[in-house]
Amino acid sequence: MITHDIIIIGGGLAGLRAALEAHNRGTDVAVISKVHPIRSHSVAAQGGVNASLVHDDSWEAHALDTVRGSDYLADQDAVEVLCREAPERVLEMEHWGTLFSRTRDGHIAQRPFGGAGFPRTCYAGDRTGHNLLHTLHEQVLRARIKIYREWLVTRLVVDGGRCTGFIAMHTPDSKLEAFRAKATVLATGGYGRIYQRSTNAIINRGYGISLAYHAGVPLQDMEFVQFHPTTLLGTNILITEGARGEGGYLYNNRHERFMEKYATGMMELAPRDIVARSIQTEVDEGRGFDGGYVQLDITHLGEKKIEERLGGIRQISIDFAGIDPVKEPIPVQPGQHYSMGGVSCDANGATPLEGLYAAGECACISVHGANRLGGNSLLETIVFGKRAGEHAAGYVQETDVQGENTHLDSLASEEQNISDLMGGDGESFAVVRDELRSVMQQDVGVFRNQAGLQNAVETIRELREKGRNVRVKSGATLFNFELLNAIELKGMLELGQVIAKGALAREESRGAHYRTDFLERDDEHWLRHTLAYQTPEGPRLEYKEVTITQFQPKRREY
Amino acid sequence: MVRLKVRRQDGDRVWHETFDVKDTPGMSVLDALFYVQERLDGGLCFRYSCRGAVCGSCAMLINKVPRLACRTQVSSAKNEMNVDAVKWGALARPVVKVAKDEILIEPLPNFNVIRDLVVDMEHFYDLLDHIKPWISAGDEVPKGGNLMSPEVEQQIEVYTNCILCATCHGACPAAGRDEMYLGPAALAKAWRFYLDPREQEKDKHARLEAVDNQSGLWGCDVVFKCVAVCPKKVTPTQGILAQRRQIPKNRIKKVFKRGKNSED
Repeated sequence: MITHDIIIIGGGLAGLRAALEAHNRGTDVAVISKVHPIRSHSVAAQGGVNASLVHDDSWEAHALDTVRGSDYLADQDAVEVLCREAPERVLEMEHWGTLFSRTRDGHIAQRPFGGAGFPRTCYAGDRTGHNLLHTLHEQVLRARIKIYREWLVTRLVVDGGRCTGFIAMHTPDSKLEAFRAKATVLATGGYGRIYQRSTNAIINRGYGISLAYHAGVPLQDMEFVQFHPTTLLGTNILITEGARGEGGYLYNNRHERFMEKYATGMMELAPRDIVARSIQTEVDEGRGFDGGYVQLDITHLGEKKIEERLGGIRQISIDFAGIDPVKEPIPVQPGQHYSMGGVSCDANGATPLEGLYAAGECACISVHGANRLGGNSLLETIVFGKRAGEHAAGYVQETDVQGENTHLDSLASEEQNISDLMGGDGESFAVVRDELRSVMQQDVGVFRNQAGLQNAVETIRELREKGRNVRVKSGATLFNFELLNAIELKGMLELGQVIAKGALAREESRGAHYRTDFLERDDEHWLRHTLAYQTPEGPRLEYKEVTITQFQPKRREY
Repeated sequence: MVRLKVRRQDGDRVWHETFDVKDTPGMSVLDALFYVQERLDGGLCFRYSCRGAVCGSCAMLINKVPRLACRTQVSSAKNEMNVDAVKWGALARPVVKVAKDEILIEPLPNFNVIRDLVVDMEHFYDLLDHIKPWISAGDEVPKGGNLMSPEVEQQIEVYTNCILCATCHGACPAAGRDEMYLGPAALAKAWRFYLDPREQEKDKHARLEAVDNQSGLWGCDVVFKCVAVCPKKVTPTQGILAQRRQIPKNRIKKVFKRGKNSED
């Protein structure tokens, strides 16, 4: 058994920031991650991180943009925290070594981003996530924080109404171990890979979110799934909003800048939900290109500017689509990108389960509501990662470490679960997974309706049955990736079910949740958060009020 | 159809196994390996994460060239009949003959193999740790942040683009000879911190002194193989040479400073 005061599950930005904070506050903290921290998906974030740094911008303006962007579903007290603390957190990252792009006079460079009334997105070329993550990892190395690399956490341990640690599998030898912690912080990122088309890393299967769900913690607003408007045709690798922020145009097959029809004011820089729907509409109505895409044209920016500010996506386009954006437009289509929903928690990261915290994409505070603005997710990781680390550190000062018995029982039952998965005859994880992805893509995507969502709920119910028969054929003990996939598949199926069921119940269109059979936002009935609880019969849905402080809901127009 | 010839290893047992994969347009070598893992042999193991050449997980030896599997297209790799491995920086035979429609996949050289294509990266991370790869920032954040000119930023950026995939280490002849050699990634990183105006002078000097030896800057053969294989256009050799030049400059400065002090 391994014991620490605090263990952070996940080594991306939120996790490392939480770890650093808890360490600086004198607690014994460790990070556990299924990959080396710098392989986490935070590394792929491109466009930037929002902060009101200059005097003609303000945190209030940032908050208003965020709340409007969220289609008024965000909790405004939490948004205030996000925007108020943004400058301090960003400048701190700069001080620790993040190599931001610079203005002529040496300040952090900022670019316009979708849905924002001011150019407040701080960037490091189009490799902002990479620069932030490497910086935080460097500072974590400097602090000598213990990192358990290549461990998959398989279940949380709950004892007397408290989360007291977890069971994890060491990938290099497939051995299970019990971890004891006074506080556990989930920072496990999103679940993009339950969709066929996603910008997310292959490892983003949402298993961390399902850990909390299993432990009885509600999942909040899971039906709100962000589809990024511009993902590269074929691989669906992200093509940053920064490409449009720097002046890129979107064209349909008649060479029309079609955003004129959908968002006359902000054009290509309307919020992501709107641009994604516009592109999908163009494609659905026959104005896209064969293969279902539109063109993102940045050729007019010139090679110098492209190389300087968008060098990463230039290389990605060349490597993965054989297209040089200096010379020709990039073929793009919408793809799943981000989860606005997640483990329900407050602005200190505390979940309803004592001893369990959440931060980053896996958490739902909620600062993004029904649609996240670009540049606010990196910000969320450093603001709320820090706060979760801080509050977990406070909590463990006044908490005793729990006994070992529950851990030993959990360990034994988890060993049984794993051994039950092994064997020759059964379903292949890949077959069930691909069916899940296909139904999520088809019926729980950019546009949704009752018939499709009902089909999704029913199909996923059947897939869960089928999922019980998944068996792992490979008996390898060292790095058995088939086993990892089989374990995580269960979580994917559960999240798919929660998303589809929440979307079916929500009979309105708000932000990224767009129902073709309920076209309008319905504040009277649906200005509220969804909470999904796990039951043996599937998710049970409850609702809670949205916190509104200074911005009264209005119709969104861009 | 493409045939993958994969070097496999389980304990002491080493063998080559071929897998026939139905290739599709845009398929990467990583996709082809997934095809094998999901349909033909669930036991085949290799690391992966982002599939977009930013996380650095999937470095391996493809047709004797160290590179990222996700960034290597099957369509081009299967037609590499004669790979000029010297130019690319591979260690084995100078020219590799690969059969048409076949791709040879092996683990990254200069590392111990754990199983199949998974190598022991701990050694690489330990080497990196030797150079203390961090900015020794003070507790106080300057109001409004540090200033830095765009020119300095761009000079450093060449080195911060490193994703620690270790393809350079797999291509490096010095790393192949000497296990203690810090290697291109760590030495390039050392120069990145030296260039950074936010780093304390004393820490810059301490770091430079720590690499001023045969396991560091002077172990390099200056054959630019790391530069040739880097998927992110990082130039470790240039960084190593710049540090070699910096050492005498610092010595002169030190002497000058001492002289000045004695006059005071």
